[in-house]
Amino acid sequence: MPDSQSVFQPATQDDLAQFVTENATNARRCLLPIGGGTACRDAATDDAIEVRLDKLNRVIDYPARDMTITVEAGIRMAELAKILAAENQRLPIDVPHAEQATLGGVIATNWSGSRRFGCGTIRDYVIGISAIDASGKRFSAGGRVVKNVAGYDLCKLLVGSRGTLAIISQVTLKLRPMAETSALVTLTFDSLCQVDAVLNRLLTSATRPMVLDVLGRMGTLARPNEETGRSAHPPQLIVGFEGASRETDWQIETLLAECRPFEPRTTGSFVGAAAEPLWSMLRDFSIGSKSSVTFKASLPPSRTCEFLRLATETGIVAQAHAGNGIVNGHLPDRVSKAEQAFAAIKPLGDLVRSCGGHLSLLRAPSGWPALDVAADSWAESLAWAQRLKRQLDPHNLLNPGVMAFGPA
Amino acid sequence: MTQSATNLIPRLRDIVGDDGLLFNREELLVYECDGYTVEKKVPDVVVFPTSTEQVVAVVRLCNELNVPFIPRGAGTSLAGGTLPIGGGVMITLTRMKRILEVNVRDRYAVVEPGLVNVHLTNHLKETGYHYAPDPSSQGACTIGGNVATNSGGPHTLKYGVTVNHVLGVEAVLPDGSVVQFGGPCEDGPGFDLTGLFVGSEGTFGICTKVWVRLTRNPESYRTLLGVFETVTAATQAISAIIGAGIVPAALEMMDQGIIGALEAAFHFGFPLDAGAVLLIEVDGLEVAVEEEAVRIEAICLENGAREVRRARTQKERLLLWKCRKQAFGAIGRLSPSYCTQDGVVPRTKLPQILEFITDCGRRHDLKIVNVFHAGDGNIHPILLFDERNEDQVRRVLLASDEILSKCLDLGGSVTGEHGIGVEKISFMDKLFAPEDLAVMKSIRDVFNPDNRCSPGKMLPTAGGCGTEDHPHKNHPGRRAAM
Repeated sequence: MPDSQSVFQPATQDDLAQFVTENATNARRCLLPIGGGTACRDAATDDAIEVRLDKLNRVIDYPARDMTITVEAGIRMAELAKILAAENQRLPIDVPHAEQATLGGVIATNWSGSRRFGCGTIRDYVIGISAIDASGKRFSAGGRVVKNVAGYDLCKLLVGSRGTLAIISQVTLKLRPMAETSALVTLTFDSLCQVDAVLNRLLTSATRPMVLDVLGRMGTLARPNEETGRSAHPPQLIVGFEGASRETDWQIETLLAECRPFEPRTTGSFVGAAAEPLWSMLRDFSIGSKSSVTFKASLPPSRTCEFLRLATETGIVAQAHAGNGIVNGHLPDRVSKAEQAFAAIKPLGDLVRSCGGHLSLLRAPSGWPALDVAADSWAESLAWAQRLKRQLDPHNLLNPGVMAFGPA
Repeated sequence: MTQSATNLIPRLRDIVGDDGLLFNREELLVYECDGYTVEKKVPDVVVFPTSTEQVVAVVRLCNELNVPFIPRGAGTSLAGGTLPIGGGVMITLTRMKRILEVNVRDRYAVVEPGLVNVHLTNHLKETGYHYAPDPSSQGACTIGGNVATNSGGPHTLKYGVTVNHVLGVEAVLPDGSVVQFGGPCEDGPGFDLTGLFVGSEGTFGICTKVWVRLTRNPESYRTLLGVFETVTAATQAISAIIGAGIVPAALEMMDQGIIGALEAAFHFGFPLDAGAVLLIEVDGLEVAVEEEAVRIEAICLENGAREVRRARTQKERLLLWKCRKQAFGAIGRLSPSYCTQDGVVPRTKLPQILEFITDCGRRHDLKIVNVFHAGDGNIHPILLFDERNEDQVRRVLLASDEILSKCLDLGGSVTGEHGIGVEKISFMDKLFAPEDLAVMKSIRDVFNPDNRCSPGKMLPTAGGCGTEDHPHKNHPGRRAAM
């Protein structure tokens, strides 16, 4: 933990702006914005100041009938959810450690979970934003109405910018009504090949899933049992639905019928409260491991099962949002050295690189070098991203080194 | 035509061929404005490239000769976004209209920017997927133009606007380099430059390829027409529907003024004596839509609807949508010219803004009719006038400014989907603080440091409105209104 002199915790957005201005004109120390501290990676910078934003947590305006809310960025996700639930509304982004994680952190890291297939990601909900740039200037973009194309969409620019362009201080969100009910269907199959075939079938399913997740198990356990020839921990497809009860019931039944020809080994369906433990498991996957190394990969959805097969062979436990081609994976506990980890990840990186994707570490022991694997097609856009970074933060004060601008 | 533009022509001909450019005054007239007809300016030359390489060559030539250039799609935009300020070269992308790839498994298509929006959805017919953004002009507007303005449409209430459906773009940047932002994979490295590029109104470069998200078709629809005595009752019903946690696929309002024109044009059987009608569509699974439709019917009736009709057949549904989407075309029956505004207010403020619009029309002695995306709070008051009448033009501009200012007072915006263009550039400093505009300008400077690409758009220049021949300075109506 940094000592008290290297931590600043503003109580108001004005305090924050003033502090950043003074820093920019005087000491020019590096600033590391932090929300709940649940998803940050170490910025390898001495003499940096941690800027803790969790005291900026006020609700500025909640016109519930307009289905928008304006809040300070340090509000905790659980607190926000509670406020919205009182009006039967929600922000449908699945976030682990919601008691701790802040909205600003979710935006800065572009955090997403299983519902992204049906509900989109945080970029689809941020309609207005205010932030403090490295010189201390507070600027805003967007507004408080659900449809607005005035000015450049800096909301999009700041989503996923990992605190490297500006410190997000206030956000306006558009909201969704709470779903009447939700349900999860689990299906296990002998192989990822079968899962892939089912995913292909579901492209024209009569149902409209909100969640299309695949869980790949540990390679060692997934090896076929010698007597039965079947894996003890087969891959699992999890399909989620939301809506009126009649709607979800119908979808569960229809989905099971559509999947029957693929001969799932087991099936299960969980509705309403009964599905809660499974929802939690899906939401907390990225933190639910003793592994010290967690990565995120993106690739075309059609390559997801191929990726999972490679990953499980290496002993990686992975969760794929298969409809979107997003995979989170934990390296085996035994991997403790960077070289080991990078060697394990290499075949996955090669696959990702060959199909236009991207792989980066979400969590790694401090002191490890960054790992960011991106297909060549990203090189030009990364170079332009770097130019933007230089323009908005010429002295490289905000989260230096956190964003990789060049292929590893 | 400037000297440098004269030198351009033979060299442009080398790039795009004889049939790839126009420069005779009469031929250029088509390109003097978009759907915002109040301000006009012809470009010096119009080129029709057929490939990214040709766009690159044209842009490099413009840079070499210091000539401004501007991209254009079908010219259906409504805020003067394609007005060639300072003349120069207009790069019209309508010949780059191929569908390069359809990948249903990965739910995307790659298209060239000149592809007409609805042609993509038509092409996808057999797949069970469609391209969701559906601007009313979708039969003519191009996807590249949609990217530039971040277009919306009636169904954006449920499905979102263009940016929510664009995975990536290839663009020729103002320096002539080609770059790909985003692509078929989500969550790429670096910043979301796709999101930044969409809606930048051609000021960051020229889009030459787009990766768009494909959306599964709904299984079923219910399309309702709520008939109300007054606009106020209709807006109350909207608020009640949204407040009940229902998100219809579309929720559109048409007032009495537009109903008459639509009925004359399409003979649908609209009630001519109604104060307003709501066109409401819910879509989704058959097992769910009926229940939603029944709830909506009940809410409409509780809020004073005289009756709620249903489209009984797909044919009837399509006719209703044809009426709505071609409403602007029907305006021709009401007046020789019109100017439509694109303000947004929080949904609950619709009664106030509509009342204000009525009052504004009365004060300026103008007929104003309304057809708009009520569910989003995105108003489209249509101000009717004759552009040959200078005094009417002056009053239209005054009334427009008042309406948009009122939208801001009510916590809204001056544009929901049409863009800033040149029309609303003078509102930017009312919407945004100097610091906001400074950051936006510094971002534009990264991509477009000489402001040679789409000059005079989106951001006001210090001390006024851009270059000397900026129409805000020169248009007689605008001058008189100032």
